Amino acid sequence: MLVQMNVRGLLFDPYNNAYIVILRDEENAEMLPIWVGKAEASAISFALERIAPPRPMTHDLMKAILDSIDAKVISAVVTDLKENTYFAKIHLLYGDSEFAVDSRPSDAIAVALRTEAPIFATSEVLHKQSSEELERWLENLKPEDFGKFET
Amino acid sequence: MEREHHLIPLKVHGVLVDPNTDTQIVVLRDDGNTEVLPIWVGTAEGTSIRLALEGIVPPRPMSHDLITSFAQHLGFTVTKVIITEVKENTYYAVLHLTANGIERVIDCRPSDAIAVAVRTKSPIYVTAEVLERKSSEHLDAWLAKLDLKHSDQSES
Repeated sequence: MLVQMNVRGLLFDPYNNAYIVILRDEENAEMLPIWVGKAEASAISFALERIAPPRPMTHDLMKAILDSIDAKVISAVVTDLKENTYFAKIHLLYGDSEFAVDSRPSDAIAVALRTEAPIFATSEVLHKQSSEELERWLENLKPEDFGKFET
Repeated sequence: MEREHHLIPLKVHGVLVDPNTDTQIVVLRDDGNTEVLPIWVGTAEGTSIRLALEGIVPPRPMSHDLITSFAQHLGFTVTKVIITEVKENTYYAVLHLTANGIERVIDCRPSDAIAVAVRTKSPIYVTAEVLERKSSEHLDAWLAKLDLKHSDQSES
């Protein structure tokens, strides 16, 4: 089952020197945090803030290529989570055929935001992340994060 | 005007890391090694070009790998990329692609054009006009950005 997700924001994760894209469903019942690199985070943030850079960024080029041949982005789907790596697919309509292209979620989200295509997550991913992500948070915690205890 | 349309094929000679700025330098050369065109690119684009040059296949597709995936799935071909212009130290490029026998020309940054071309093994060209102008216009940027103490790495 697919759950439609919205990009709710971008956070900086100082432990991993990476950014976290926060996806949430319409009811705010499900949350999916996805770690992305700096370049991908900036590609997503430009689209969220509707900033048109002076020169096309990489994902603007993707959109320009797809537009030039009349290929349409149907959706971006976060499909799987394995060992803290998320997998995604970009669904394209070209001619009469549909294509599912393997991608990182960061690229899929950056393309979906530019083409106003919906973003989905499979319910399996949403279930998996709740356990795997908790472990990841715990691994990253440092003693000082637990606060000061009087001894 | 005639000379503007004269295209010179270039090869990616290497990617250098500029330790002073958050940028990398893609060095392009012609076959006779008489012309050198250095282009400053962002870290992500420089890394992407280097991975493709070294034949490293990352576990998950990088952004430019996704463009080649689009080409494979949808059946279009990147026929060539051309570095067309330089204005105030900003280079302009176009990507030529053919889909169903029809050619499209798409405006892009040289870094993206090169990152795609090295993956699709498409030829990279520069206009004679850009090569002429880079010698005067770009040398200033090169000197301003490149710390002399790192100049010995420029051939690495």
